[in-house]
Amino acid sequence: MGVSMTTIMDAILSAAVAQHGGEAAHAAVAASHGVTGPLWIGLIPLLPLLGVVLVTLLACFNEKSKMPAWISVGLLAVSFLLTLFAYLGWNGHDAIHLKLWDWIGLSWGDLRGQTLAAGFAFYFDGLSLLWMLFVTGLACLIGLYASEYMEHDAGLGYCRFFAAFNLFVFSMSCLVMGDNLLMLFLGWEGVGLCSYLLIGYFYKKKSAVDAGMKAFVVNRIGDLGLLMGMLLTFTTFGTLQYDALFNQIHTGLTAGGTPLSQTWQVWAIPLLLMGGAFGKSAQLFFYVWLPDAMEGPTPVSALIHAATMVTAGVYLVARMMPLYLADPAHIALTAVTWGGAITAFWSATIAVAQFDIKRIMGYSTISQLGYMFAGLGVLATTGGVFHVFTHAFFKATLFLSCGAVMHGFAGQLDMRKLSGLWSINGFRVVVIAMLIGCLNLSGFPFTGGYFSKDMIIAEAFVTPDSVIAGSSWAGWLLLLTAGMTAYYTFRVFFRVFVGPVVYEPGEDLHAHDDHEHADAHGHGHGHDDAHDHAAEHFHPHGPKWAINLVLTLLSVGCILSAGLYFLGDHHGWAGGMVHASSAVVDTHAVEGGEEALLFGQPPHEIMFYISAVFGFGGILLAAWFHGPKGIAGLLIGGRTTAAEVRMDPIAKALRPISTWAVRKWYVDEFYHLVLVTPLKIFAHLFHWFDKLIVDGLVNFFGATPRVSSDAIGESTQTGVLHDYALRMVAGIAVVLVVVVLVLF
Amino acid sequence: MLVLLILLPLLFGVAVLLRPPAAAKWWALGGTSLCLAIGAMLVGRFFANASPDVPFQAQGSFAWLPALGLNLSVGIDSVATLLIGLTLLLGPICVGASWTAIPQHRARLFYGWLLVLQAAMVGVFAARDLLVFYTCFEFTLLPMFVMINEFGSTNRHKAATKFFLYTFTGSIIALAGLVYTAWAVGTRATGVDGFTLDIATLTEHASHVLTAREQALVLLAMLCGFAVKVPLFPFHTWLPLAHTEAPTAGSVILAGVLLKLGTYAMYRFVLPLVPHAVLEHAPAVAILAIIGIIYAGLICWVQTDVKKLVAYSSVSHLGFCVLGLFALNSAGVTGSVLYMLNHGLSTGALFLLVGFMYERYHTRDMREIGGLGAKMPIWSTFMVFFVMSSVGLPGLNGFPSEFLCTMGAFISHTGWTSGAARHVGATWGPLGPWFGFAAGTGVIVAAIYLLAMVAKMVWGTLREPAVHHGEHDHHAGGPHLPVDLTAREIMTLLPIGVLCIVFGLFPTQTLIGAIESDVNAQVAFVHERSGEAPTEHEAHFAQQEHRQQRDAGRDEQIAGVKP
Repeated sequence: MGVSMTTIMDAILSAAVAQHGGEAAHAAVAASHGVTGPLWIGLIPLLPLLGVVLVTLLACFNEKSKMPAWISVGLLAVSFLLTLFAYLGWNGHDAIHLKLWDWIGLSWGDLRGQTLAAGFAFYFDGLSLLWMLFVTGLACLIGLYASEYMEHDAGLGYCRFFAAFNLFVFSMSCLVMGDNLLMLFLGWEGVGLCSYLLIGYFYKKKSAVDAGMKAFVVNRIGDLGLLMGMLLTFTTFGTLQYDALFNQIHTGLTAGGTPLSQTWQVWAIPLLLMGGAFGKSAQLFFYVWLPDAMEGPTPVSALIHAATMVTAGVYLVARMMPLYLADPAHIALTAVTWGGAITAFWSATIAVAQFDIKRIMGYSTISQLGYMFAGLGVLATTGGVFHVFTHAFFKATLFLSCGAVMHGFAGQLDMRKLSGLWSINGFRVVVIAMLIGCLNLSGFPFTGGYFSKDMIIAEAFVTPDSVIAGSSWAGWLLLLTAGMTAYYTFRVFFRVFVGPVVYEPGEDLHAHDDHEHADAHGHGHGHDDAHDHAAEHFHPHGPKWAINLVLTLLSVGCILSAGLYFLGDHHGWAGGMVHASSAVVDTHAVEGGEEALLFGQPPHEIMFYISAVFGFGGILLAAWFHGPKGIAGLLIGGRTTAAEVRMDPIAKALRPISTWAVRKWYVDEFYHLVLVTPLKIFAHLFHWFDKLIVDGLVNFFGATPRVSSDAIGESTQTGVLHDYALRMVAGIAVVLVVVVLVLF
Repeated sequence: MLVLLILLPLLFGVAVLLRPPAAAKWWALGGTSLCLAIGAMLVGRFFANASPDVPFQAQGSFAWLPALGLNLSVGIDSVATLLIGLTLLLGPICVGASWTAIPQHRARLFYGWLLVLQAAMVGVFAARDLLVFYTCFEFTLLPMFVMINEFGSTNRHKAATKFFLYTFTGSIIALAGLVYTAWAVGTRATGVDGFTLDIATLTEHASHVLTAREQALVLLAMLCGFAVKVPLFPFHTWLPLAHTEAPTAGSVILAGVLLKLGTYAMYRFVLPLVPHAVLEHAPAVAILAIIGIIYAGLICWVQTDVKKLVAYSSVSHLGFCVLGLFALNSAGVTGSVLYMLNHGLSTGALFLLVGFMYERYHTRDMREIGGLGAKMPIWSTFMVFFVMSSVGLPGLNGFPSEFLCTMGAFISHTGWTSGAARHVGATWGPLGPWFGFAAGTGVIVAAIYLLAMVAKMVWGTLREPAVHHGEHDHHAGGPHLPVDLTAREIMTLLPIGVLCIVFGLFPTQTLIGAIESDVNAQVAFVHERSGEAPTEHEAHFAQQEHRQQRDAGRDEQIAGVKP
C-alpha cells in the first residue's frame, strides 16, 4: 500500500514540478554526483505545508472540533513514515538530491562565482536523515499531545496553534533538508517566525508577547552573523550549494585559487556562522531569549524550544564541519568549544536556583545545547549529534511531563507549591515518564543521556590542548556541570513528584478554562469570587489518553535511544549516520589524540566511571537537600512539607549570591541597560532631530521666500511701471554678475 | 496598447465626471479593471516575445514639434513592464479600498483624479523620451495634491502643500540636469542631428560627451529631484506627513508607485547617463541610503501614529532599494528592481490595513487603539502576514529583494583581498562588505519596529478609543462597517497576498528571470562607460566639430536646394 501511495504522490508532484523546475532539476543532477531522490521526498516538508492550508481553511469556517489536530497529526505521521521510507531506502553513504525548482537564481556571467543558484532543493545525507527522523517523529507525537493539551482553546485559537505548528515542521524540514545555505536560511527564519507566533500564543498576556518579540529580535541579531557568513562564503567559494562548497573546501583552495590557510576568511566565515548558530541555539550572549520562551504553551516548549528548533545551530555547525576543519588554527572550533562549555556551566548555575519547574527545564536545555556545541568543538561530532538525538527524546519527555502537571494544576509550576504527585490519582504515568526523563538528563548509567554525554566529555580529554586550546579544561568544566545537572534535575523530581501530597492551583491563563470546567461540573460560581473558591474546590485533573499515550511512547523512546549506542560499527548508530555526512571528522588526522590518558586510562573507558560518580553525587545531594522522608527520598531525605527543605538555610547563608542566581545574575537587566535603553534613547533623539533639524531646515527654506516678500512687499508694490522696470534691470544685473563671477 | 493604457484612464476619468456621483465608483472600478485586463495582456505579450536582442517592445512615436526635435514616444522594457503591471494592479485595489471611505457627493472629484493619476504613472514608465517622461512625472503631483488636500485628515493642507512644493522644487532641478544632458548630446555627439530628447539617443551618447565635472553636476541635479521623490535621507520629511494625511488609496499609490518613480528614474537616467560620476559618488549615495535604513527604522520604533510608522518604514525600505542600485552589479540592481515591486505590494497592503482600521475607529494613535487580535482576527492575520513580508521573511516576497540588495552591496568590490586571495564571488563595483553589513543591521531594526507595531496593534488586551464607529453611524463615512473585514476589503488584500507568496517562492521564474537580461545589459553598460569621461578639452573640441559638421551639412543642404 505504501508503494502505491508513493507512486500516486510521485505522479502528482512530478506534474507540479514539470512546469517549473523540470529542466533545471535535470541540470542540477548532472552537475552533482549524488543520487537523485524520488520526488515523494519533497512531500516530507510539503505535507505539513498542506496542513497549514487545511487548518487555515478550517479557521475560516470557524471549526470548533479537534479536526485541526487530527489533520495535523495525520499529515505529520505520513511525513514521518515518508522520512522512514527515505531512510530505509537510502544506500547508507551517498547523499540524495532532489531539486523541485530554482528558488533564487541569477547569473551575470559564465565564470565561477558569477552565478547565484539557490534551488528549492533537498539534500539527504546521514545528518539530515537523523535530524528529520526525530523532527517529524516528535512533531507527530507532540501534535497528538497538544490535541488534548490545547483543547480548552478549541476554535480559532486551536486552529492558530496547529497552523503555526505545521508551519514550524515545514520550516524545520527546509532548514534540515535544504541543499544550500539559502534554503537553510529559509527554514531558519521560518522556524523563528513560528517560534515567535507560538511563544506569543497567549497574546493577551504582555509577558508572552514580549517574550516572543525578544526571541525574534535576539535571533535576528544572530542571523546577521549567518547572513554575513553566507555572503562571505559566496565571495570566497563562489557557491552556496553544499556539495559544490565541500568539494571546493576539500581542494584546500578558495575558488580563486588561493590556499585557504592563508586567508582570513577561513576563520571569519565559521565564526560568523557560529554567531547565527549561537543565536538560534541560545548560547553565550544570546541565551536570554530561551528562558522567556517558556511563556508559550508547553507542547511548543517541548517541540520547538527543547527538541528541535534550538538544535538548528548545532545542525549548522555540524553541517559546515569541513569549513571549521579547514582552519589549521581551529580558531572557530575553539570558540565553539568554549562557548558551549561556558554556556553549559553558566545556565546550570541559574537552573539550580530557580523554582519554576518549566524554567529549570528551559535552562537545562541551554546547558545541554552547550554540551552539544562543546562536543562539536572538540571534534566529537558523533557525540554531539548523538546527544542531540537522545536529548530530543528525554527533554521532550521532561517538558511534556511538566506540561501535564501544569495542565492538571491550572498552570501551577512553582515547586514550592506542589508535592507528591505520585500519590495523586491519575498522575502515575506522568511521574514515571518524568523519572525516566530525569535519569536520562542526569546521565544515570546506561541511559541514552549517559552514553551521549560521556562521548562528548571523554572526547574533550582525548583531543589535545594543542588542537583545541584548553580542551581538557573544558572537559572538567563539563564534568562539573554534569554533577550540577543531576542535582537540579532531581531537585525537581524529589520536590514535586514524590513526598507528601501538597498542592495549590496556579492562576494563569488556564484559570479561566478551569472555571468553565467547574461550571460544567455544576459548581457554577460567579466570576468575581471564582478565584477564592478555586483553591477550595480545586481538583487536579490527571491527563487523559492522548497525553498518557504520548508520554508512554516517549519514555519507551528514551529507553530505546540508549540501545542505539550499541548499533553499527562507528560508535553507535549516530556515529554511522555522521560518518555518511559532511559532519564526519577524521580523528586520525588529529595528532596526539591516540595516546591521550586520563588517570592513566583511555578517557573513553574511564569516563563511564567518572561521570557515573558525578551523576550519583548530584542525585544524592538532591536527595539529601530536597528529598522527602522515606524510601522516595532514598532514605536520606527529610522533607515533610512542600515549601521547606534542607537547602533553605544554606541558600539563606549564601544570601547575596543565591539571590543573584535566582535573579539569573541580572543579565536581562544588564542587556536592558546597555543595549535596549541606549537604542531607545537614540530612537527618540533621531525622532526629535528629524522633526526639528531635518524638517526644520526644509521649513526654513520654504518660509524664506514668504517671509522676505512679506518684509519687502508692502513698500515695493508702488504700482509705478518704471519702478518695476528698474528693479527688473537691477535683478538681471545681479544675476549676470553672479554668472560672470562663477564662470570666469 | 501602451498609448491605450495612458488614454483609457483619462477617458474613464472624463466619464466619471460626466456621470452622476453615485456611479462614479463603478466607472472607476470598471476603468481600472479594464486597464488591468489590458495590462495583463500587455505583460503577457511582452514576456512571450521577450528576447535579449530587442529590449524595448511596443514602441511608438509621434512627432510633435519636429522642428525642435520634440517627439512623443513610448516603449517598454522588462523593468518598465513590471512596474506598469504593479501600477495597474493597484488601480482596482485602490478603488475597492475607497469604496466606503469616500463620501458619495465628492466621489467624482476623487475617482476622476485617481484615474488621471493612473494615466500619469503609466506614462512615466512607458516614456521613451524626456518630454513624455517629465510631463507625466510632474503630472503625478497634481492628482496626488488634490487627493491629499481634499480627502486627507486634519493636517491635510500643510501636508499637500509641502508634498507638492518639495518634490516639485526637486524635480525642476532634475529637469535642468536632464535638459543640460540633452543639450550636451545635441551639440557634441557625433551622428546626432540637432537637439533631441529621445532617451535611447541620450543614453547612447551622454557618457561620451559629458566631462567628469559635468557628470558630477548633472548627477547632483538629478539626485535633487529623484532623491526627494524616493525619498533618500535627509530629503524624506515630506513623506511621513503626506502619508499620514493622505486617504488610504492615496497612501497606497504613494508608497506603491510614486516613490518608485524616483528609483525608476535613477535606474533609467542616473545610472546610464552619468556612469562616471555614479561610480565615483556611489559610496556617498550608499551611505545616505544606509543612514536612511537605520535612522528611519529607529524613528519608526518610537512612533505612536501607526500610519506614520509605516510611512517611515518606507524611508527605511527604500534605502535598500537605492543601495542595491548603487552597488552597480547585477545582484544589487536586480534586488533593487525587485524591491520596487515588492515594497509596493507589502507596504501598499500595510497601508490598506491601516486604512481599514482607521475607517472603523477614526484614530491611528497606538496608545488609544490596539490588541485587535481577538476582535478582528482576519484583519490581524493579514497584518501579521504582511508585516512578515515587510520584515523580509524568506518564502515571502520581501526576502529575495532585500537579500539581493544586501548581497549586491556586499560583493560590489573587486579589491577587498587578503594577501593574494582572489574573490571569485565578488564583482566589479564601488561598495563592499561593510556596506552589506551596515545594511544587514537594518534587518534587525526592521524586526524591532515592525514587531513592536504588531505587539501594540494586534497582541495584548483590547484597547479602543472611547468613541468608535458604533456610536457615530451618522459620520460621513457612509454605511456601517462590520467589526472585522468585509468581503470587499478581503478582496483588495487577497491578490496582494497571493503575489507575496508567489514572488517569495518563485522569484526566479516570475521576476528575476524576467528582468535578468535587461539588468545585466544595464550593468554591463554602466561598467563599460564608467571608465573614463572626456576631458573638458575633448568636450570643447567635440562641440566645435559638431557645429562645423552641422554647418557643413546645412551648407550642403542649401547648396543642394539652390540649383
